[in-house]
Amino acid sequence: MTDAVDVNSADSWPDDADDVAEGYLANWFVREGSAVDEGETLCEIQVEKVSIDVTAPTAGTVTETLVGEGDDFARGDVLARVQPSA
Amino acid sequence: MVSVTDLRTMYEQMVTARHYEERLVDEYLVGKQPAFDISAGPIPGELHLAAGHEASGAGVCIHLRDDDTVTAPHRPHHIAIAKGVDLKRMTAEIFGRKTGLCRGKGGHMHLFDPDVNFACSGIIAQGCPPAVGAAMAAKKRNTDAVAVAFLGEGAIDQGGFLESLNLAAVHDLPVVFVVEDNDWAISMPKDRVTDVQNGAQRADGFDMPGVRIDSDDAMAVYEAAGEAVMRARDGNGPTLIEVQVHRRMGHFMGDAEGYRPEADIDRAKQRDSIERLAEDLRSHGVTDDELDEIRERAHERVEEVISWAKEQPEPDPEEAYENVFTNPPAQAATDGGAAADAPGDAGETGGDN
Amino acid sequence: MATESRDYTEATETDRELTMSRAMVEAIAWEMRENEEVFYMGEDVADYGGIFSSTTGLLDEFGRDRVMDVPISETAYLGAAVGAAQAGMRPIAELMFVDFFGVAMDQIYNNMAKNTYMSGGSFSVPMVLTTAVGGTYNDAGQHSQTLYGTFAHLPGMKVVVPSTAYDAKGLMHSAIRDDDPVVYMFHKRLMGLGWMPSPPGPKTGVPKEDYTIPFGEADVKRPGDDVTVVTLGLHVHRAMEAAEQLDDDGIDAEVIDLRTLVPLDTETVLDSVRKTGKLLVVDEDYQSFGVTGEIVARAAEGALDDLSAVKRLAIPDVPIPYARSLEDEVNPGTDDIAAAVRELHE
Repeated sequence: MTDAVDVNSADSWPDDADDVAEGYLANWFVREGSAVDEGETLCEIQVEKVSIDVTAPTAGTVTETLVGEGDDFARGDVLARVQPSA
Repeated sequence: MVSVTDLRTMYEQMVTARHYEERLVDEYLVGKQPAFDISAGPIPGELHLAAGHEASGAGVCIHLRDDDTVTAPHRPHHIAIAKGVDLKRMTAEIFGRKTGLCRGKGGHMHLFDPDVNFACSGIIAQGCPPAVGAAMAAKKRNTDAVAVAFLGEGAIDQGGFLESLNLAAVHDLPVVFVVEDNDWAISMPKDRVTDVQNGAQRADGFDMPGVRIDSDDAMAVYEAAGEAVMRARDGNGPTLIEVQVHRRMGHFMGDAEGYRPEADIDRAKQRDSIERLAEDLRSHGVTDDELDEIRERAHERVEEVISWAKEQPEPDPEEAYENVFTNPPAQAATDGGAAADAPGDAGETGGDN
Repeated sequence: MATESRDYTEATETDRELTMSRAMVEAIAWEMRENEEVFYMGEDVADYGGIFSSTTGLLDEFGRDRVMDVPISETAYLGAAVGAAQAGMRPIAELMFVDFFGVAMDQIYNNMAKNTYMSGGSFSVPMVLTTAVGGTYNDAGQHSQTLYGTFAHLPGMKVVVPSTAYDAKGLMHSAIRDDDPVVYMFHKRLMGLGWMPSPPGPKTGVPKEDYTIPFGEADVKRPGDDVTVVTLGLHVHRAMEAAEQLDDDGIDAEVIDLRTLVPLDTETVLDSVRKTGKLLVVDEDYQSFGVTGEIVARAAEGALDDLSAVKRLAIPDVPIPYARSLEDEVNPGTDDIAAAVRELHE
C-alpha cells in the first residue's frame, strides 16, 4: 500500500503572498473518510484576505484533516492527508 | 485669486483625512487578523476609506459655509472632515458608540451632522436628490446658501443622479454636483460600464456647465469649485464637476482587489495630491517647518478623537426603539408595536453568529 | 431539459459538502451549460465573482457575454432582464443588496411581476432575480434588511429563501427552469464566506448531479410535539440551536423551514399546529404586515380550534441599527427564540 499523500498548505500559497506566514481555514468540503477525485476541492483557505481552493493532489480517500475549520495555520502546515485509491 | 490661507487650511484637512483613514485601518483590523471576519472587532461592518480622494473634499468644501448643505456617498470621511463635521462624534459613530453623531444607529456610511448640514448615505447617487432639495429650500427662502452633492463615478449611470441634474437645471437651483472619479466602481472599470469617459459630459445633456479636472490636484479643484459655488450662490444655477482621484485602499476594507492590475494600484499610490499641494504651498513661501507643524497638529487631532471615541459607552439596547419618529404615535408603546414585542423582552439577545 | 432531474426530499448522503454559495453557483453553471439562453448580469458579478460569491468562477467558464458586469443602473438592467425574458431568454439578474430594490422597484413589481397577468398570460417572464439579504454584521439600515414580506406581498413573483447548500442548489435549478419570475433571496450570513463565517448548519452534503426542489414545500427540519416554530433563512439555524437547548429541558420543538414564501406551504404549517397547538413564527423581516402576520393568519384560518397560543419574533418595526448592541437587540437571537418557546409551552 502506498503512503498517504500530504496536502501541504505551502503548495497552494498565492504567489503574491510570499511575505505572509499565516493562513486561515475558512471551509472544509470533505470529511475524514471522504472519497475524492484528483483535483477536487478539499477546502478553502484564506491568505491575506484572498480565498484559495485547495485541491486533492490525487484520487483517493481523505484519511486525516489536520486543521480545524475556523483555525489559523502556518505556511507549510499539512492540512490533510489523502490515501491514493490505486 | 488663490488665498494661501485657504491652501493651508486645505492642506491641514487633507493631511487630517489621510491620517484618519490610515488610523482607521489599524483600528478596523483589530480582531480581524489573520482571519478577516467583517463583524469582528471594535469597528464592524463595511468600511470604505477615502485615501486618495482628499483633494476633492478639501478643494470643494473650502468654499462652503456651515449653512451650505453637503451630501456625500458611502466613502465620506474626507468630505465630512473638510465640511467641518464634529470629528469626535463622527469617530464615535464609526465605533458604534452612544455619543456618536447618530447615537450608533448610522455607522460610517450614514453620518449626519445638522450643525454643518452634512449627510452621507450608503446607496449610489442617493444623496443627489436631497442636495437638489436643499438648494430648492435655499432658493425658495431667498438665502444665498448652496448645496453640493458628492458621488463616485460609478454613480453617474444611476437614474437618481441624472434626474437630479435635470431637476436642478430646469429650476436653476444653487447646487454643485461633484463626481469623484477613482476609476473603479468596486471591481468595474469605467470603460466597462459607460462609453463616456469624461463624466462631466453628462452636463451637456442638461444644458449645464460641466468641468473635468484631469489631475488629482487640490489647486485645480479649488479653482473650479470656487467658480461653480459662486455661480450657484449668485443664482445662476447648477454645475457638474468631475475630479480625477485615486483609490488607494480598495473598495472596502477586506477587498483583496484581485480584479485590479498591480500597476494600477501602484499608479494610484504614486500620484499623491497631498504632496502636490505641499509643493504648491512651498512655492507660496510656506516653510517646511510650517508644513511639519500642520502635519503634527493634524496627527494629534486624529489621535485625540480616536482615543476619545474608544472611551465612549456603547448604546443601551433599549435605544434601538428610539428615533423611529420625531413624534412617536401615542399608541406605539401599547399596541404590540415596536417596544412591546421587542425580542429583547424575551431574554438575552443573540446576534452572536 | 436534456438531463433528467430527480427530486430529493432530504439531503442525500454524499462525501462532499458545499457552502451555500458554491452550491448555488454549481446550479447556475449547470443550467448555463445546458441552456444557452441562460445568462447572468449584475454589478461585480464578472471579475469579482459577486460580492457575496454568488458567481465565483462563472466568468472563467462562460465569458463576458454570458456573465455580464453592468453599470450601476438597476432600473435599466433589471428592466432589461424582464425584456430579455419576455423575448424567451432566461436571464438571471442580481440586485447586490435587496436594500437597493428602491431604485428599480418599478421594473420589479410593475413589469417583472405583472406582465404575465396584465398580458392575459400572453407573455411569460422566466427570469431569476437573485439578491443578498440579511444583517448580523453591523452594516446598518440600508444594507441589512431581508424584505421577505415586501416581495412576497406583491403578486406575480415566486419568492424563495434557501437556508442550506442542499436547498440552495435545488431551488436554483427550479428557479431557472421556472417559467415565472423568481426572486431568489440568499442570506449573506449563510453563504459560507470566509470573511463572514456562517453558523453550523448551512453547509451540507450536495449531490454532484442536478436536482430540483419544488416550490411550495416547506421542510420540517426537526419534528417535535410541543411547540411549532416556523421560520426561514438564517433563523432556521437559530431555531434549530434553540430547539437543541429546549430539548435538554424536555421541551420538544418542531422547526419548520418555509424555504419558499410564494408559493407558501400552508398545509405543513397547519399539520404541525394541529399537532402542537402552539405556534411561534420567527422572521428577520419587520414584524408588522409581514411574514409573521401572514403565517399566524393562515394558522388561524385553517386551524383556529387547535391553536392555544401564538407568538412572533421579528425585527420590531425599527430600521436596522448599526451599533452591535443595537442590532443584537432587534434581531431575534437563539435565546430569544428559546425564551419565546418556553413561554408558549407554559
